[in-house]
Parts: sequence; structure tokens; C-alpha cells
Amino acid sequence: MTNGLDLEFSFNEALKSFGVPSEIAHIIWLPFPMLIVLVAAVVGVLVTVWLERKISAAAQQRIGPEYAGALGVLQPIADGLKLLVKEDIIPEKADSILFTAGPILVLVPVILSWLIVPFGQNLLISNVGVGIFLWIALSSIQPIGLLMSGYASNNKYSLLGGLRAAAQSISYEIPLALSVLAIVMMTNSLSTVDIVEQQSGAGILSWNIWRQPIGFVIFWICALAECERLPFDLPEAEEELVAGYQTEYAGMKFALFYLGSYINLILSALLVSVLYLGGWGFPIPVETISRILNIPIDTSLVQVITATLGIVMTILKAYLLVFIAILLRWTTPRVRIDQLLDLGWKFLLPISLANLLLTAGLKLALPKFFGG
Amino acid sequence: MKDFFQKVNSYVKEAFGASKYLFDGISVTFDHLKRRPVTVQYPYEKLIPSERYRGRIHYEFDKCIACEVCVRVCPINLPVVDWVMNKETKKKELRNYSIDFGACIFCGNCVEYCPTNCLSMTEEYELATFDRHNLNYDNVALGRLPTNVTSDPTVKSLKELTYLPKGVMDPHDVSPSDSRVGKLPEEVLDWMITSKSSEEVPVGK
Amino acid sequence: MSIAVTTQLICFSILSLIIIVGSLGVVLLESIVYSAFLLGGVFMSVAGLYLLLNASFVAAAQVLVYVGAINVLILFAIMLVNKKEDLKPIKYLNSRKLISSTICITLLSLLVRVDLTDTWIIADPKLSIGEESTIRLGEHLFSDYLLPFEVASVLLLMAMIGAIVLARRDVLSEDISTGLPVDQELIEKSDKPLLTQKK
Repeated sequence: MTNGLDLEFSFNEALKSFGVPSEIAHIIWLPFPMLIVLVAAVVGVLVTVWLERKISAAAQQRIGPEYAGALGVLQPIADGLKLLVKEDIIPEKADSILFTAGPILVLVPVILSWLIVPFGQNLLISNVGVGIFLWIALSSIQPIGLLMSGYASNNKYSLLGGLRAAAQSISYEIPLALSVLAIVMMTNSLSTVDIVEQQSGAGILSWNIWRQPIGFVIFWICALAECERLPFDLPEAEEELVAGYQTEYAGMKFALFYLGSYINLILSALLVSVLYLGGWGFPIPVETISRILNIPIDTSLVQVITATLGIVMTILKAYLLVFIAILLRWTTPRVRIDQLLDLGWKFLLPISLANLLLTAGLKLALPKFFGG
Repeated sequence: MKDFFQKVNSYVKEAFGASKYLFDGISVTFDHLKRRPVTVQYPYEKLIPSERYRGRIHYEFDKCIACEVCVRVCPINLPVVDWVMNKETKKKELRNYSIDFGACIFCGNCVEYCPTNCLSMTEEYELATFDRHNLNYDNVALGRLPTNVTSDPTVKSLKELTYLPKGVMDPHDVSPSDSRVGKLPEEVLDWMITSKSSEEVPVGK
Repeated sequence: MSIAVTTQLICFSILSLIIIVGSLGVVLLESIVYSAFLLGGVFMSVAGLYLLLNASFVAAAQVLVYVGAINVLILFAIMLVNKKEDLKPIKYLNSRKLISSTICITLLSLLVRVDLTDTWIIADPKLSIGEESTIRLGEHLFSDYLLPFEVASVLLLMAMIGAIVLARRDVLSEDISTGLPVDQELIEKSDKPLLTQKK
């Protein structure tokens, strides 16, 4: 296994050659990946919003946005600008401190979770040891923000929406964590980079989706529930709750919720691709291709190509899942709250426990295939 | 124990059935992605409503016996039947009849139950007015002949989805000679006659 | 002083400030909802302190358990129960205050004494196991701390069964206040789905 492209190392070396001490070089380097990932997340949201509108239109035999830019690609930017210049309304009887803090608390953990999304061997902000566990922990902060904004709006729909959102994300967090646990058990590591590396042996055949088909389905259902996507969008069910916890929000604060939900969707899709679809891995391993073409893998050009391919593959897989999520949106009707909790506690939880047990048994029986 | 396994079995079956339905649903949605929007340039092009289209209700004053069945079967008792009892002939004398299309839901119950068939559904659907009170049609307005899309020379009439050949979605590229899906009523009649005679032959012998 | 140490010091002081001010707010604020949200903030800052101590797994677990589960449950309880009660004057308030402050000051002085007299062994930062601490934690939990671990899980199980017993409510056939039969139509039975039932 090669180390691949290490931009940080090269950057620090370059700065050191100018006589900058390594500590300062590290500090100068720090904001770069964060900024890039933040920009990537926001651009990802713009693309997702456009895709969502276009695919929804196609599924309903409409045309969708078409006047802002070619094929309406600038429509999300226009939407964003509109929200940016809209009046920021805080209802008179609302609790203004909590009302303002709510959307921030919803958005910040989601963006923080991008810390652990790898786009390549060294193409992530921080390869922290707790990796995927950090994401699970951070995503559990979100309900507090939802409860906060629901309570602060001083509106029964908002409060009900906030309570529903919190109940939903708490109950779907457990099967989600259990299905991640099965993966972690196979990898012997919580780090996302290790999880991808463990799947990189034989290209598409070694992806976790073949070893964890049940886990994949459970994870995807739970991820949809956590993102409040359509079969599970009870917290903002228009027919019952106007817009749930977002009812009283306008302008930039509403935009934060909007941004948060879409960033969360992309994040979940990226994590599914990392956990189950081999992350940055190409369906045919890059090492095999280079061996066939007889190119040494350590040359810088090959490394740049490999890194680009990795980023493209990760994003491609993620957007495939986003596409499935959009299709699901126009296929499934919204579940009732009792059906939602039934599905979470009576179906997904036992199945994910059984899946965990099965994985543990298979790990002992076939250590070669299920990680020793 | 056996009971338990049976339960597990039905549970698993249910889960698989649910996922199969979900997959079917997604494939339908996916199939719809391929279809393109079809635009009917409305004031210049109009769709021919299907045979069972429930448009404005047509009413024939002379046939009406003022029985008020239409009022009783109407979900909101909408038709107004204005009659008086003629003491001399001891018969109802109808003065006026009106339906307010601003409130009508075009369910067709009155048409279904009318004993003298004086009510009927037309294919007229352009009921827009500038004042909602104009939607309250009296017996004269109800008795007018319905407008017809095909007879209007300024309008290009287009075939509706039910009249199109199999697999065709866009009415623009259909030639008038193309036949619709399924059989026409007279073809059904022919088929019924032929199939009946072929069936009856062995019985008759 | 190197940059890393300064950063650590700044982070530590900010986190400690948040913890102290936040916990004072939890106790002293009038609004119970604010107290609950501040409690979440305090838990988060404690997680930050764990991070400073290189215990990232413990920090994440702290966030998951305390912020994600316990604090959300507290908020849930507060938001679902909006029973307004008039505050009654408490008897012997002054003597109660005196007793509780004595106990608190005694405990504080005990802590301060332990802090001053104990010789703290500061581990060599080079020997820090860092990311391996997750593995070490698991080993400890399933070997020498197995009994406390299991006892804690039994305790949680008991709490859960207790909660189910308390929350379980059999369908009543008549209204308690009026004595009239309850409209059973609205209770969905598995063999009789509501939507298809007609009368």
C-alpha cells in the first residue's frame, strides 16, 4: 500500500525551505483543508439542491428550473442570495437568544463531522483515532439544537416538530451506531481511513456492501431518518405541522437549517460510500491497473491522477446515493409517527443486533474474509 | 417453538415483501424519469376530454318531472328545484331549475339517479367567469349545448391520453388514423357477437 | 513557551470558565429550560477538557451519552411536562440553607485538601498512548472492571423495566371521570385496521 499524495507534508517541506519553523508551517497549513472542505460542502449543497429540483421535475414530467443559468444551474445560488437578503425576523414572543442559537447548534455539528470524511489516503482534515465514533457523537448534538429552536419559537407546531425531530434522531441513532459497530468490528479500527483501506484489497469485490448487506440497508434507512428525508420527514410534515421547527424562521436562520439538512444528506451519503462502498477506491484497484500498464505508482503524476480519481470516486458514489434518496422521496409516502417508532425499535434495532451477532460469529469463523 | 419459527418466517416474509414493493415503487419513479414533459399550448391547442369526462352538467327542462331525486342524492343538496303544486291539475309545475357550479364537485350522482335522464354530463370544462355568481346556472344556461373542442376551427384539438396508441405519450406526433389502445365500442360489439356465435355453435348442435 | 502549550492554556482557561459559569447558571437561573440547555453546554466543555487530556474516545463518549442522551431526555421531560405549579414558601428555609452550605463547604475543603496534599504523578507526555487508549479502555472494561460494568448494565435494565411498568397503561373500558364507556373505535387493533372499518 502506497501512502499516496500527502499535500500537508509537501506544503510543510516547501515552507521549511523558505526558513519557516515547522510549528509555524503547521499553523499556516491548518486552515487550508478546513476552508477547502467547507467550500466543498457548500458547493455540494448547491449541486444537491439543483439535482433535487431537476430530478424531482423529471420524475413528475416537469422541466424544473431553467432560466437561471444554463439548465438552471444558478438557481440554488439565486435561492441562497434571496435568503441572504431577506429580513431576519424574530417573533415578538419568541426567546431571542435560544431562537438564534438553535440553527447554529444544528449546523455546527454537521459541519464538524466533515472532519473525518476521507477523500483519499491523506485527503482529509484529520485522521482522528475515534473517527466514525466522533460522527455518531456529533450527530447526537443536533437534537438539542432542534429542541432549542422548537421551544424558542413559542409556537405549538414548532415545539411538536422539535420534539418529533429529537425523538426520531434518538431512536434511529441506535441501529445506526450498531450497524457502524459491525463495520468497526471487521476493521478493528474506528478510523475512516482504516475502514476504507480494509476494503481496498480486490476492488469492487472487497467492498463492505457484500459483507454487510443488512448493515448497509439499515445504515441507509437510519441515515435517511437522521436527515429527515421524505419517508421520515415527520418533523416538518407540511400537512400537520406547517414546517415543524422551521415554522417561525426566515432569512438567514432558515437558510442555516436548509444548509444543515442538505449538508447532512451529503455527509450521510459520503459516509455510506466510505463505510460500505469502498470510499475512494476504484472498482478495479489502482495498483492492478498500474501493474498492467507497467507504470510505477510512486511517480508524482500517477499520484496526482490517483488522488483525483479517489476524490471523483468518493463524490460519484455519494451522489449516486443522493440520487437514490431523491428517487425514494418521490416514491414513498410519509410514515406515521407510530409506524416510524415501530420501524426503528421493533424492526431495525433487533435486526441490527442480529447483524452484529452474525458479524461477530463470521469474524470468528472466517477471519480471512471478515477481518481477523 | 414451531409457533415461534412460524412467526419469524412470516415476519421475514413481510419484510421482504415490503422491500419488494419499495423496489417496485422506485422502478416506477425511475421509469418516469425517462418521460419528457408534454406541453399543450392551451388556448391554441386543447385536449379532447375522454368519453366519461365529467364536465358541466346539461339539463333538459322539458323532461324534468321535479322529483327532486337529484337534490337528495347530491352530497350538498345543491340543485334548486323551484316548483309549485297546481291545485287544478294536481301536478307539479316546474318554474325554475339551477345548479351552482361554484359549489358543485361534478360527482355525477344527480346524473346517475335522474329517473328521466334529463341531466347529463358534458365535456365542457371552461367555466371561468369574472364573478363567482355567474357560475350559478339557471335552466336556460344549463340547457345550452356544450362547447366542443373538435368543432372549434380556431383550436387545434389534441387527443387525450386515453385516445393515444399504446406507448405514445405525446399527442402532437399522432396521426388521426392511429387507433387508440383497446377496442372501440363497435369493435367490442363485433367481438362479442363473433365470440358468442362461436360459443353458441356447439351448444346449438 | 511554545505555541502548542499556549494554545492548550488558552483552551483550558476558556473551557474551565464555561464550566464554572455554566454550572453556576444551571443552579441559579430561574428558567428551568435555560438551566437544561446550559447543562448541555457544561457537558460539552467537560468533553473539551477530556480532549485536552488526549482522551478523545472518552470525550466522544461524553458527548454521545451526556449531551446526546441524558441532556436530550432532560429537555424532553421539561418540554412534555408543562404543569404550572404555584411556588409555596418552604419551611425552615434559613436552617436548610445553612445545612446545605455547610455540607458543600466541607466537601469543597476536602477536595482542596486532597488537591494540596496529594503528590500528583504527571505522566511523561512521550509515554502517552494516544489513540491506543480505545483498545486499552475495552481491555479494562472486559477484564478488571467487568463486575462494575455488568452491575451498571443490570441497574440500567432495572431502570428500564421500572419505566415500562410505570408507563404501561392498559386500555380502559370506561372513562375514569365520567364513567361513560370509552370510544374504542379510535384504538386501532391489529386485525381491524382503522381505515377499512365501516359502520
